[in-house]
Amino acid sequence: MATAASSTRPLGLDQPIQLGRRIVVLIPGLLLLAAVGCAGKFIEQSIAGYTKAHHLTFPNIEYVLWAIVIGLVIANTVGIPRMFQAGVATYEFWLKAGIVLLGSRFLLGDILHLGGISLALVAVALTLSLTFMHLLGRTFKLKPKLTSLLAVGSSICGVSAIIAAQPAIDADDEDASYAIAAILALGAISLFTFPLIGHSLHLSDKAYGLWAGLAVDNTAEATAAGALYSDAAGKVAVLAKTTRNALIGFVVLAYAIYWASRGQAHAVGNKAAFLWRKFPKFVLGFLFISILATLGFFAKPQLTSLANLSRWAFLLTFAGVGLRTNLRELGKQGWRPFAVGAIGEVFIALVTLGLVYGADHFLHL
Amino acid sequence: MPETIATNPRRGLSLDVYAVALALALALLVRLNLIPSIKW
Repeated sequence: MATAASSTRPLGLDQPIQLGRRIVVLIPGLLLLAAVGCAGKFIEQSIAGYTKAHHLTFPNIEYVLWAIVIGLVIANTVGIPRMFQAGVATYEFWLKAGIVLLGSRFLLGDILHLGGISLALVAVALTLSLTFMHLLGRTFKLKPKLTSLLAVGSSICGVSAIIAAQPAIDADDEDASYAIAAILALGAISLFTFPLIGHSLHLSDKAYGLWAGLAVDNTAEATAAGALYSDAAGKVAVLAKTTRNALIGFVVLAYAIYWASRGQAHAVGNKAAFLWRKFPKFVLGFLFISILATLGFFAKPQLTSLANLSRWAFLLTFAGVGLRTNLRELGKQGWRPFAVGAIGEVFIALVTLGLVYGADHFLHL
Repeated sequence: MPETIATNPRRGLSLDVYAVALALALALLVRLNLIPSIKW
């Protein structure tokens, strides 16, 4: 409650102090993200330098994997002290800023071409995966709203989609926590399995990137899974995932209307306003920077700088992916939501792999 | 689950907008050569 002193304090003086405090609180966690990310980069470069100097053949393990593993080890051994948590939670902010900056590496024509293919594949995969997830939910006797959250999370956009859908369909906090935990656990598993499968199937960078972008749930994990394969695959994964993210509003709206029609959620008023509220704004930023790059607004060295800025932003993101994954917490969530998520994920991975194979064969990615 | 910037729906919108604003500001600084070239 505001005291007499604070209520009479001029508003203009209070705000910069509060903003300053908020930023100061973030600094320890931001430094931790930077330290973990840079440690990953240092290990990658050291191994590459050593193997080159000694003429050894050793597969190049990207800094992405090192940063995630270091983060995982810290989070699941000593844990993240409270003073670091606020800063570590900004990893998603850096992800979005990095994606916007990555727009400079795409010409608008590439976006329309690959984005168009992604959109068509997303539409097919989305229909199949939502149907399959609901069948699974019924088979495993999950609560219908938990199934809806898992379906939205695994078919569209991981945690962001679950967070967007929870208030729209009036789902319980507990259901949202279960769904988020299952999606995060499965995202962590996909980071290690997708690159292995991609290499064993000899997928091209574009095909693999498209697959990772279409099948891996969370944007951070999809970006990391792509970058683990190659730089070019990472770029395509981000584009495919961004296309998927753009559909978040439509799917959440459909669920909101469905649950409202059953009298189990509040009715949706202005549908256009709802769509705009749920639309991920960083998609617009990504498109805007790409348009500027296509129009020749940036010189070549400036484009290199923007691409490198994007890489630094992703470095903080990948560190955050490891640091925020608490394996013990994930284990506490019970096996049924996890089983439904896992079976659904395998289904989505297979469907999207088939779609990408088909697109690569017929549309020549 | 503890509430974080990432899991707080009320801060979701501003997070997106701030991220876009930062990225566009950096792009402008690079375009105007106001920051040195960024190395990786």
